[in-house]
This record gives sequence, structure tokens and C-alpha cells, in this order.
Amino acid sequence: MQQTSLAFRRKKSIAVASTVFLFPALLVIAIFIIYPIIDSFATSAYDWNGITDKLFVGFGNWKEMFHDKVFWKAFGNNLIVMVLSICIQMPIGIALATWLDKVGRKGNVAKVIWFIPMLMSSVAIGYLFRYALDANTGFVTGLSQLFGGGRVDLLGNPGKVLLTCIFIISWQFTPFYMVYYLAGYSGLSEDVKEAAMIDGATERQYFWRVALPLLKPTIKSAVILSMVGSLKYFDLVYVLTKGGPSHASELMATYMYSMAFESHRNGYASTLACGMFILISLIAIVTMRLLNRKED
Amino acid sequence: MNSKKKFRPSSIIVAVLVVLWFLICLTPLVFLIMSTFKQQFEMMNNGVFALPEGFYLGNYKALFESGRIWRYILNSLVVLVVTLVILLSFSAFASYPLSRWKFRMNKPIHGFIVACMSIPIHITLLPLYLMSVKTGLYDSIWALIGPYVAFNLPISVFILTTFMATIPKELEEAAEIDGCGRYQMFGKVMLPLVKPGLATLVIYDGVNIWNEFSFALTLTQSAANRTLPLAVNEFQGQYTMNTPMILTVLFISILPMIIVFIFGQDKLIKGMMAGAVKG
Amino acid sequence: MNRKAISAVLSGTMLLSLMAGSMTTVQAAGKTKLTLWHIQTGEMANVIQGSVDRFMEANPDYDVEVVQKQNDTFKTDVSLAAQAGTLPDIFITWGGQTMYDYADQGLIADLTEYMNKDNYKDQFVDAGIAQCTYKDKIWAAPVENISVAGIFYNKDVFDKYNLEEPKTLDDLEKICDTLVENGVAPFALANATKWTGSMFFQYLATRYGGLEPFADAAAGKGSFENDAFEFAGTKIQDWVDKGYFCDGFNGMDDDSGQARALFYTGSAAMDLMGSWFTMTIAGENKQFLDDGKLGFFPFPEIPDSKADQSLCLGTIGDNLYVVSNKCADKEAAFKVIQSLLDDEAVKERTDLAKIIPLKSFKTSDPVVQEVLDTISKAKGIQLWYDQYLPSEVAEVHKTTSQEIFGKTITPAEADKELQDAMTAYLSKKGTASTEAESAETEA
Repeated sequence: MQQTSLAFRRKKSIAVASTVFLFPALLVIAIFIIYPIIDSFATSAYDWNGITDKLFVGFGNWKEMFHDKVFWKAFGNNLIVMVLSICIQMPIGIALATWLDKVGRKGNVAKVIWFIPMLMSSVAIGYLFRYALDANTGFVTGLSQLFGGGRVDLLGNPGKVLLTCIFIISWQFTPFYMVYYLAGYSGLSEDVKEAAMIDGATERQYFWRVALPLLKPTIKSAVILSMVGSLKYFDLVYVLTKGGPSHASELMATYMYSMAFESHRNGYASTLACGMFILISLIAIVTMRLLNRKED
Repeated sequence: MNSKKKFRPSSIIVAVLVVLWFLICLTPLVFLIMSTFKQQFEMMNNGVFALPEGFYLGNYKALFESGRIWRYILNSLVVLVVTLVILLSFSAFASYPLSRWKFRMNKPIHGFIVACMSIPIHITLLPLYLMSVKTGLYDSIWALIGPYVAFNLPISVFILTTFMATIPKELEEAAEIDGCGRYQMFGKVMLPLVKPGLATLVIYDGVNIWNEFSFALTLTQSAANRTLPLAVNEFQGQYTMNTPMILTVLFISILPMIIVFIFGQDKLIKGMMAGAVKG
Repeated sequence: MNRKAISAVLSGTMLLSLMAGSMTTVQAAGKTKLTLWHIQTGEMANVIQGSVDRFMEANPDYDVEVVQKQNDTFKTDVSLAAQAGTLPDIFITWGGQTMYDYADQGLIADLTEYMNKDNYKDQFVDAGIAQCTYKDKIWAAPVENISVAGIFYNKDVFDKYNLEEPKTLDDLEKICDTLVENGVAPFALANATKWTGSMFFQYLATRYGGLEPFADAAAGKGSFENDAFEFAGTKIQDWVDKGYFCDGFNGMDDDSGQARALFYTGSAAMDLMGSWFTMTIAGENKQFLDDGKLGFFPFPEIPDSKADQSLCLGTIGDNLYVVSNKCADKEAAFKVIQSLLDDEAVKERTDLAKIIPLKSFKTSDPVVQEVLDTISKAKGIQLWYDQYLPSEVAEVHKTTSQEIFGKTITPAEADKELQDAMTAYLSKKGTASTEAESAETEA
């Protein structure tokens, strides 16, 4: 009797306290994210260039989206970016963090330099790589000619442009995962390593058998971060290629942006944004379910 | 380094890789810095990767003589600090119950916030613009705070809940026995323990906010209320742009971040270590 | 839960409006405030500020704020401001569908009265006024630049290989073949920017078929699946195959000067570009102009074509200055626009190698003079497709044109895609206007 009331009181106090703690964050999200989303869903029922009168089209935009080859191509490109980003950034990030964790303070200089790409804005990176990859005067062409090769056209070639973008994105974001894993490493207590070493484990064994399994939660959340980030990626691709040529590097976000800000089809752009939101949420939910199930 | 150790081929591979990654990270920055000392025609005629003909300081001079750059820097700083303070406290508040307590709405709310990570910011530009006009915040740096906090919140909560979840339950239980209440527990036990997580957020969100372009472009217009990334605008026209000047602006906007990181990373590591020892 | 969310939103908005209330600024007493949006950069921005300063000096009752906006997002800024009711008193627009939409929507003021006063409009070249006219009213003043496209070339390169300015398309192709043999790219082209390559498409179609095929297709009377556009697409792909364009063109950006770098260094010989090219060079590589290396010739002719071969592609005025319908003092706003072309400004603009759309405009620059001669001989101007067409169709044109260059699409497929977009737009517009009409009859 007393116990149930205690449990009840405890439950109630948790409910009150969690409301207090969550309120500010949810309020901000409601005003600045949810309201605009609702607004977007409403706008998706119209055809509207921002100047002339809105024309009600019902689900017309949604129908168009389902048949829009470019949108689905962009979605496919996003999936490619997602998979390759994870495959490239995670191992390098872990490797760099492992090295930094091993050498400790001696690695400070390396850490600062390795972190620089993350500090640069996508606009800056976009400009720099635009010149570096110029087919005539660029760095890569220069290297190729040094070894007797011809000009290398990476950004104008529909077959190579997406991969090129992925490499640059990876270059930009690997440092973040490096720091993320480093923070994860610092969460492992020294005792664990000492204990493993006393048991006669080599560095390699320690890494594969002890550290990596313990880093699992960090890796899992890093994968989700990278996934969501890749699915809504925009900045660098927009600065560098605007999704071109021939939509070869088109991503959902760049396509939506050009619909809204170049074609001025606000209604359709809203529809694309909503579609994008639904797709990303679905993928994120499914992945999280899968990752959590493995844990159990 | 360690001469006592046996020579191993793998350590050479590691050293080569370390140096290689050094070069990969540094090269673009070197080109960026070099370009800031070039005149426009120089860049056109000699190619982007040629060494500058001399130490041409005209870009820096022009930028700082106009005086507006200081205003942009100040605006960016104010926005950064105010946003970070609000953002970090709100996300720490929210992450605490989500990671430590069992209640019915826990998973749905967590899922909801995480789902918000997937929202492309560009679709909110129009509604948020109209909102800022209606509230009279349009064309002031304060219009930026709300959207910046909101769009960095989901990822911050996501990262912080992960961090908080790794902290052992025993610590809290011990504190509870000592008579620590729920709210005290947050301030006295939790916050100190998630310092590494907060440090990661300061970096990640800080860089995002410092470099943010789209909201700043839409929600402010007069030169007095612009942030640093928008300084690029002045040199980008309908058919042409002053590339060395733009790169100078970009370098100047990266510079504070690099300096902060150089001096701040020591603290960052200490924070991480502290978390590690106690955790 | 629901109620909580609503009250949350409410209290948030209240908080925001409280903050806002305390921040409203007080207007300087007695002065009328006007705002002007433009997209000029560098020296030109200073010229505009100078004009406005002179206006304020002469009219101390006015306080004019000049805001330099960004070109890329300008149309969006205008539409956002229109919805929020915060349009500036004076702003720029481009000709064609964008201006027509503003006029139809009642966003901009009819300037006919002011333009006619003291015959002010007669100072402008006729084609410029024609571009600002819609439904027999004048909506704007063509201020910035006469921008027609033509082929600019590096004289050093032409001299080196004993080449002469071509008259016909065949001549041009011979020149290109010579250049290719010698390892020089005939054309510098940065086509990630899309409108750069689109100019080849537009000129070829205009030379082949004149103004009608395009005008008809845009009006829904004709179609983009037409000989003229087929010819343009096929020719471009032929030229791509023969290597007439620099390597990697579809990945290069024009604004950042990737094409011009090749042009300056002689790695590429020619550049099909708008006449602002002189201004661009004056800004970024003055030495090139001073050394007399820049040459110009109009886009070559197709001798046996029925179409008029003097037609030019471009716009007269480029940035057209308009006055918001909501502006409280339209007369003053118009005077501000006039100040942008006062004697002092005309001098400064001329020095910056602008081609001002005034009849009295004179230049000492030989290249600019050649451009002027070309325009004066032209029997008509084909407005840029991307300004003429509504944005959503224009984007399809630019993308398909880039795809033609990239050979990821056949000319016929490109024309069909463009026609589909045009048809879709026209049918929507048809529905909209019938709806508006029926609403009117109901009222």
C-alpha cells in the first residue's frame, strides 16, 4: 500500500520534473521548426511563384513528386552519399582518434591541424575546391600532367562529380567524428586499458577486443548523425556544382532549393521538403530500431 | 620516436599516413592564405596555385579600412555567444530526463526531437521570415537567435543524451542517498560529468553558427546588422566576383575559430579527462 | 498535450513581441524615409551611393537608405518582402515575365506619367523603353547597362594564327578548326553557370529562325519542338564533338572567372558573353584592356537563312529600376532613380565601361564602340530566354541546355522537355485566369 503510493509519488515527481526540463527545448522547436513545417504542408497544396495569386492544386504537387525522376535520382544520390560517407568517415575518424588517444598530449599539434577542415565554412571549401579541381588550371590536372597524364575533369563529368563531392564532404566532416570518437575514448576509463595490458593484450588486441566494443554506443550515434547529415546535405554541393551537371550531383536539398529559389515554385518546393522530411524520418526511425534491436 | 621500441614496419606506415593526412588537411588552407595576398588580375593570369608575386596587402587594407568588418565580427560574436548559452542550457535540460528517467513520453519525445534533425532549414525560411517581420525582429541580429537555437537543438540533444546515458547509475544513487534533489542532481552531478559532451557541442554548434549563411541572408538586410559570412556579398556581383577579396573575408572568418581551437583544445581535453576519470 | 502546445506557442510569440516592442527605433523627425535595393558591387555600388547622396543634398527632407542585396537570392527577397508588405520604395527587376508579374500583381507603380514629364523617356534608347513597357504603360527605367551578347576574342591569339573576325558561321568554324589544330581551345566556357552555354543555344536558334519561333513557343502558339531549336542543339553537340569548347566546361563557374582565366592567358581564344564583359575586365584585369588585347565581333551569320541576321541577343537596361506601389512619395522615388543617371553618374558609369542606355551615350573605348555599332544596326533584340520566360520554364531551359552540352540528352529530347514545361505552365496560367474571371463575374 505504502509502496504503491511511494511509487506513484515518484512517478508524479518525475512527470513534473521532466516537463520542467523539457519545456524550453520543446517550445523553441515548436515555434521555429514545427510551425514552419505545418506551414509547408499547407503550402504544398498550392501552386505559387511567390508573386502571383496562389492556385489550389490539392495533391497535384504530391503526384508530380511521385513521378519526378529528378527527385528520386536525388534521393538515390543521397543514399550513395550516406553509405559512402559512413564507409569513409567512420574508419578514418576512429583511426585518427585512436592514434591521438595513444600519443596523448604529444598529438596536440596534429589534432589542431587535422581539425582545420571542420573549422572552414562550406562556402570557403567550395571556392577552394572549385579552383583546385578546375579541369584546365587545377591542382589535380597539374598533378596528372606532371606524371604525363591529361587534363582531369572531375566536376563537369556526370560520372565522377558525385564521388568527387563525397570525397570533399568526407574531408570536411571526418575531423568532427575524430573529436567525437576521441571524446568517446576519454569515456573509457584508464583502468580498462591497464587491466587489458596486464592480461597481456597487445595494442592491436586491445583495440579490437576491448576498445572497439566499448565504443559501440559512440559509433552507433555517430552513424546516425552521419546518416541524417548526409540525407539532408546541402551546402558544399550547392556551392560547388548546384547539383549539376545533368543532375548528376543533385541531392534532395539542392533540388528543393533550386525549385524554391531559382524556379520560384514555392508550392512544389514545399512538397519536396515535406517528402524529404518524411523519407529521412522513416530511414532514421528504421535504422534506430535496427541498431537498438541488435543491442537487446 | 621511441628508440627503445623494436623497429616495426607498421609504425612507418602509421607515420606516413599521419603525415599524409597532415598534408591533406593543410593544403587547402595554405592556398587560401596565399590567395589573400594576390590581386585579382594576378589570380586570373598566373593561375590560382602560383605563388603570389609579392606580399600584396590591398585586400586586407580594403577590408579593414571600410570599417564595416569590425561591425560584422562584433555581430557574429554576439550571436554566437548568446545562441550557445541558450542552446547548451536548453539541450542539457532536455537531455537529462530523456537519458536518465523512465516515463511514458520519454521515447516518443526523444524520437520526435531526433526526427527534427532531418528537417531541411530552407523550407522554414519563408515562414520564419514572415514571423520575424511580424514580431519586429526582422533586420536585427536577434532574429537569428531563435532559428539558430532551434536548428542546433535536435543534434545537441541527441549527442548529449548519448553522453549522459553512459554515466553509471551508481553516482546518482549515491547522491540521492546524500539527500540530493532532482534539480540539484542535475547541476551538481550531471553537468560536471557531461563536460566532454558539452565541449563537443561547443565546437560543432559553434562552427555551424559562426558560418551560418542562409538565415543570416534572409533575416537581416542592413549592413549594420550583418554577420561575418555575409561580408562575402559585397564582392559577389551579377556576373563577376572579386575572388581574392572573398577568400580574404573567408580567411578572416576562419581565423578566430582556429585561434579559439588552438587555445581552447587544452581545456577541451581537460574537460574530457575529467569526465573520464570520474566516469 | 494539444492545449499545452498551443499555449506554448502563444507564450513564445508573446515573449518575442515583447522583445520586439522595446526595440522599435524612432524615426528622424520630419524626414521622409525611402529605401532602395540594388545588386551592384564594388565601384558601381559607390557610384549609386554617390548619386543618392547628391539627391539627399539637393532634397534635405529625404533620407534614402541604399541597401546592397545579393544577386542570387534577389527575386526571392522581393517576393518575401511583397508578402510581408515590406517592399522597398525603389528596387530593381529584370525585364520579361518577372516584371509583368509584378505589374499584374499591383506590386509596382505605373511610371508613365513621370517618364513622359519633360519627355524624360526620350533620352533613353527606344528598345530600352520598349522593354520597360507592358500593357501600354511604362513600369520601369532602364538604368544599368545595355547588355547584348557577342563574341569577345583575344587579339594576341588571333594575330598569332593569322585569323580574322568571321562573318559567317562557316568562317567561325574554320577559325575554330585552326585553333583546335594548334592546341588552343576556341571558346572559353564555364557552363556550370548554365546561362553561359545557353547563349550559344539562343543565338544559334535566333540566327536560324529569327524571333518568331521563340515568341510563338513562349506564347503557346508554337512549340519548342521546332527546326530552329533542333538546329541549335545539333550544332552545339557537333561543336562539342569537335572540341570547340575548353575542357571541363560543364564543371566550371563563370562568376569566379574560371573561363576568363583561360581567355586572358590565351589558352582559349574566344568568349561568347554579354557586353558587361568590358566592365568585368576593367574591374579585374585592366592591363588586358589597356594593352588593347580585347576584340569583339557580333555573332556570325547564316548567309542562306531567311531570318534577319542583324538580330542581337540581350537586354537593354539589364537592371530596370521600379517604384513600389506602396511607396508614399512616388514622385520623390522617381527622382531618386533619375539621380542614378545624373551628369556626374553618367560620367562615372562611362569610366567604369558601362554602356548606358541613353541616346546621348558616347564612349572613347573602341570595343564598347563596336558593341554600340552592332546594336544600332540591329533590327531587333531577342531578350534572354531566362528573363523572357517565367522562372520555372527558364530553369528547365537552362538545365536542358547544359545537358545538350554534356551530351546526356539529344537535342530533340531537350526540346520536348522544354515544351512540356511550357505547356504545363500555360495550362496552369489558363486555369488561374479562368478562375479569376469567374470570381470577378461572381462579384
